[in-house]
Amino acid sequence: MTVQERHPSNKKIPLAFLCVAVVLALAPLGLPLFAMTLLTEALILGLLAMSLDLMVGYTRLISFGHAAAYGLGAYASGYLLLHTPLALPFAVLAASVLAGVVAIGVAWVCTLTKGVSFSMLTLAFAQLLYAVAFKWTSVTGASDGLAGIPRTSGPFGVTVFQTKNGYYYLVLVCLLGAYLFCRSLVGSPFGAVLRGIRENEAKTLSLGYNTRLYKIAVVAVSFALGGLAGALYSPFAGFANTELVFWLFSGQVLIMVIVGGQGTLIGPILGAAFFMLLEHVLSQYTESWALFFGLIFIGFVMFAPQGIWGLLTRRARV
Amino acid sequence: MSVSRRVLLQAAAVAGMGRGAFAAEAIKIGIPVALTGPVGGIGAQMRRACEFWAKQVNAKGGLLGRPIELIIEDTAANPATTVRKVQEMVERSGVRLITCIVASNEALAVVPKLAEWDTVFVSGDNGDGRLTAESLVPNFFRPNVSGPMGTRAVTLWLRDSPMKKFYGIGMDYAWGHNSMEVFEAEAKRAGKEFLGAVFSPIGTKDFSTYITRIRQSGADGCYLVLAGDDNVAFLTQAKQYRLGEKLQLLTEQVDEMGINASGDAAVGLIGGSRYPATLDNPANKVFVAAWQAEYGRLPQMFEGDQYQSCVVMQAGIEKAGSIEAAKLRAALEGLVVTSIKGPITMRACDHQAEQPGFVVRVVKKEGMEHPVPEVIAIYKADRITPPCNQMAYTD
Repeated sequence: MTVQERHPSNKKIPLAFLCVAVVLALAPLGLPLFAMTLLTEALILGLLAMSLDLMVGYTRLISFGHAAAYGLGAYASGYLLLHTPLALPFAVLAASVLAGVVAIGVAWVCTLTKGVSFSMLTLAFAQLLYAVAFKWTSVTGASDGLAGIPRTSGPFGVTVFQTKNGYYYLVLVCLLGAYLFCRSLVGSPFGAVLRGIRENEAKTLSLGYNTRLYKIAVVAVSFALGGLAGALYSPFAGFANTELVFWLFSGQVLIMVIVGGQGTLIGPILGAAFFMLLEHVLSQYTESWALFFGLIFIGFVMFAPQGIWGLLTRRARV
Repeated sequence: MSVSRRVLLQAAAVAGMGRGAFAAEAIKIGIPVALTGPVGGIGAQMRRACEFWAKQVNAKGGLLGRPIELIIEDTAANPATTVRKVQEMVERSGVRLITCIVASNEALAVVPKLAEWDTVFVSGDNGDGRLTAESLVPNFFRPNVSGPMGTRAVTLWLRDSPMKKFYGIGMDYAWGHNSMEVFEAEAKRAGKEFLGAVFSPIGTKDFSTYITRIRQSGADGCYLVLAGDDNVAFLTQAKQYRLGEKLQLLTEQVDEMGINASGDAAVGLIGGSRYPATLDNPANKVFVAAWQAEYGRLPQMFEGDQYQSCVVMQAGIEKAGSIEAAKLRAALEGLVVTSIKGPITMRACDHQAEQPGFVVRVVKKEGMEHPVPEVIAIYKADRITPPCNQMAYTD
């Protein structure tokens, strides 16, 4: 145990990670039907929030348009599942790749600017996508959305993803895989450059790093993972509409990241779950749940800027 | 001592049921209804009809000896929210029967999930023709008038009118497009000219640019597929622009809520009605009298149509002896119910109820606070109801 105490950040987390993974894997055994629905959605949103954390928490690229990644993934996988015989995992993967590729173009334009202008450009792109989703009736179904998105069988006749719990495991594997990927990414030299950009971009540039390329790369990775979340959402809900691309949703994801604890990867996942559960509980008691959530958000920003994860780890250290 | 608000509410609910002393478990009916947003007014009408019906049934000892419990949730007319709320009703509250969804795009989003949820959905007002055609699922039933049926009544009436050229404006979503397509086809079949149509996003407040286009189209008549707040906004602005002097306004739905909110602006409007309260038959008279005793006014269009759906649902449950989807489905197919619109048949082939179509004109009457719809034509069920699994007509 002494070793663990000396290196809390290196040793503790993999152990905790395993524990959490096991608990989540056992969840379908004990939870009622509706709780499983909520948990699946929370994991999907967690994946989305974590993907945004790469940009916001590690590179200080504040995106007001992350719903674009989610919506792109959701529409793409929805369209593929409705109109092609592609097996579910491949459709999800293809949608994720598409979001990542589109992000290269988006990032190329957005990284021409910095700070607030960057944020505004990301917002503009998301709204552009929203307008496209609203008008391109033959592909997106306009304001009616895509309905009846199936969880197709396959590949090789695998039908496990069609069941509720099977789908939950698909989501869980995607989230855990994405977490491990992100963790190694931010721990790599690439991640060190990202942090360099976050702390002092001019200095990083003068050290010889082409910071713009790094920024484009991180946006692409972030969008691909956000797209993965969206791609998982549409067959889960069986439905996709313009709400998924709307700016309001982009703001909510940003709130999940900040409330959860930016720059921690795990924090935003907790933030997403917290946001969802709170919305669910509050909306049972009051119509104006958003007001109360706003107050909680303000409270976090003022008194716990490190977010939920910050609070948890501080207590652990004490 | 602290008693939570929830416990108090539960206690009040139990006390309220008092006299009935129901021993059996309640029949839970999911009401995912849009109470906020542009069609919130329609949702309020539909919910009122459901509550009125449930109260009537419970006062008489319930259904199958079980009380009716309505589980009401606001969907804000957002299809994604609707799917989520119904999923919650099914998985959490054990709901197996839903009704009262307002917008067609909400209904279209929900129907693909019905089989998975093993839940029956009895429509109360959903108009989109596809619901009983290409998007039909076994667990969906439509006792109400569909969009194509409402449009058909108006176009049958137009066949005998001297008007020649038509333009249209519809809400930019499922129902708007669907009804406009049917209108175009029907108008052309009647030898009339269809000049084109514009579509306004749901929640449009300012119709001035649309009105300009309608004015410039040179049409004799303009067909409206508008509902809720959008309908009120359009009628009010059309009055300001004196659109009614330039051409005849026609509409798929003459809704009293829209008339009352837009005042004299609606006078002269001609259109279909899904349920005119003035219908002369015994069941309707009983319904109207009971409604007036409860609310002190005549029932409005969506109240009547939703109430009829509830009555059909009730007849189905009584026949099936259960709300289990397989049994209820079999009971509803081919069921004949004599209700406020007279005898109607739940067609087995596509789950659409065969029923008459009404065309009304909005007039001002002495002693009435608001203008009222007056029935000017009634078409029989076989002329109004489209061929099975279709939304187009052949004659």
